[in-house]
Amino acid sequence: MRALKKGAEPGPGRIRRVPGAAELAPGRSSRRRRAVELSLAILFPVVLIGLWQTASTLDWIDARLYPSPFDIAAKTRDLFSERDLAEDVWISVRRILWGYFWGALGGLSAGIGMGMFRLMRRTAEPTLIALYTVPKLALLPIYLTVFGFGETTVIALIATTVFFFVWLSAMAAVMAVPEEYREAAHSFGANRRQLFHHVILPASLPQIFVGLRLAAGVSVLMIVGVEFVLGGDGIGHVINGGRILGLIEQTYVGIAIVAVIGVIFTALVRLAGRLASPWSTEDGGQPIA
Amino acid sequence: MKGAGSASAGPGSRDQAPDAKISISGVHRTFAADTADPVHALGPFDLEIADGEFACLVGPSGCGKSTLLRIVAGLIRPSQGEIEINASGSSSAPLSVVFQDYSIYPWKTVERNVSYGLEIQGMRKKAALEKSRRWLAKMGLEDFARAYPDALSGGMRQRVAIARALAVEPEILLMDEPFAALDAQLRQLLQDELLDIWQADQRTVLFITHSLEEAIVLGDRVIVMTSRPGRVLESFEVPFPRPRKPELRDTPEFSKFKAMLWESLKGEVQHYLSDVHGAMSDAEGQR
Repeated sequence: MRALKKGAEPGPGRIRRVPGAAELAPGRSSRRRRAVELSLAILFPVVLIGLWQTASTLDWIDARLYPSPFDIAAKTRDLFSERDLAEDVWISVRRILWGYFWGALGGLSAGIGMGMFRLMRRTAEPTLIALYTVPKLALLPIYLTVFGFGETTVIALIATTVFFFVWLSAMAAVMAVPEEYREAAHSFGANRRQLFHHVILPASLPQIFVGLRLAAGVSVLMIVGVEFVLGGDGIGHVINGGRILGLIEQTYVGIAIVAVIGVIFTALVRLAGRLASPWSTEDGGQPIA
Repeated sequence: MKGAGSASAGPGSRDQAPDAKISISGVHRTFAADTADPVHALGPFDLEIADGEFACLVGPSGCGKSTLLRIVAGLIRPSQGEIEINASGSSSAPLSVVFQDYSIYPWKTVERNVSYGLEIQGMRKKAALEKSRRWLAKMGLEDFARAYPDALSGGMRQRVAIARALAVEPEILLMDEPFAALDAQLRQLLQDELLDIWQADQRTVLFITHSLEEAIVLGDRVIVMTSRPGRVLESFEVPFPRPRKPELRDTPEFSKFKAMLWESLKGEVQHYLSDVHGAMSDAEGQR
């Protein structure tokens, strides 16, 4: 097609608007774009890991300090059979899930409540902001006193971390609901429950899920920190144990597992968000038809 | 096609190709072309707009008016066909666009909003600000130069948008229902202002509107489009001489001409409505 010829701009001062590749072959061009995007997303980590493996194989880096991806993979297999790594992973995952559940529940209640009711917000916001800035790991000694040595302390610490992320994003999301939406509901005589159920919640849900996704990642960060300090079991203990015992490969195995847990957990929350707000394009997707 | 030939029936040689500032030939646009149900929004669309002409496009909702304007502006590409814009190069900006709403930035002051376009064109900040203030004065906004848009009424915001588009002194001005969000009185006021500004220094304008009255007051030519996929249904030379006065709206000739345009457009609006109803009863049938 002549529209596609090179140098199609006919002289200075003339501007032409012609179809591009995406218009001339829409199916092929969008299939190609998706294929390119997917392969890049896969290729990028593969290349990084490949570089790492090469550097290790060619002795650019000391394999005793920086084990190669192959060694880490082999070690992972070993650890799952000898040391019962699965047990540690499961312990951490369980803590994350319980902590996340309670933290998200509290964060949603506080955030939505404070977003809807000005007096609640005015009352509690300064205090919560002050607590928000406290590093949650610093609360560990206090939690140990209150909840004792045990699961409750770990879960409470995760929950506290998650709470603040979810609370802030939920409050901001509710406050950002356009006044017109509320007014339309009020004009029909909606009561508070109806307003919340049909307007406030759906309108703020996409933004709330942004906070929930953020909190999912942070909860994984937190579990590693807590288990580092407390020791005993869990994936954080596996990582720290590798350091103490000089089993550097074990540390890498732990890190890799944490990364995988983080990816899966965040993806699950995102999926939940898509299902809960099918109309939304908030996370860059298309509305679910 | 009915009436398609009347475009060339107008006085003068405006429609001959060599003079055309914008020539649109065989343009189509299909959305979601790679899916199971593509939407043929526009085309085949053919139109020539002469240098210095004020062309108004009217048509039923969803007929592809805005799509066409966006293609001319280079914001999206045509699916087929081509548009040639004959820019003389006398201005650093061949064209600028006034959108319906939401196009001026809330985080920039009024004068910065206007100078922004100039700075993008490569003008020095100081000169751009000076020029921005001159245009704001022309639009009666000099007192609000340092205010943020949120402090302004809708009418004033749209004046800012127009000032921003005009300040770059484009060869072609593209306007996509610029007054649609305003109330009727304000709308008329801004039409009259635009009329004054345009008559003082005639540049090529492609103006999209739902209002026949607006199209007649402002335009040299009113092009009526069909319902989707949008094509040229009929093209009418506006018989009223320039400079036009706001009082033109109250004359019987104006009403007569408007009635004639409505006669032409009515069928398409009804067509659009029956399409909508058809789609609705289809959807119900599927339940």
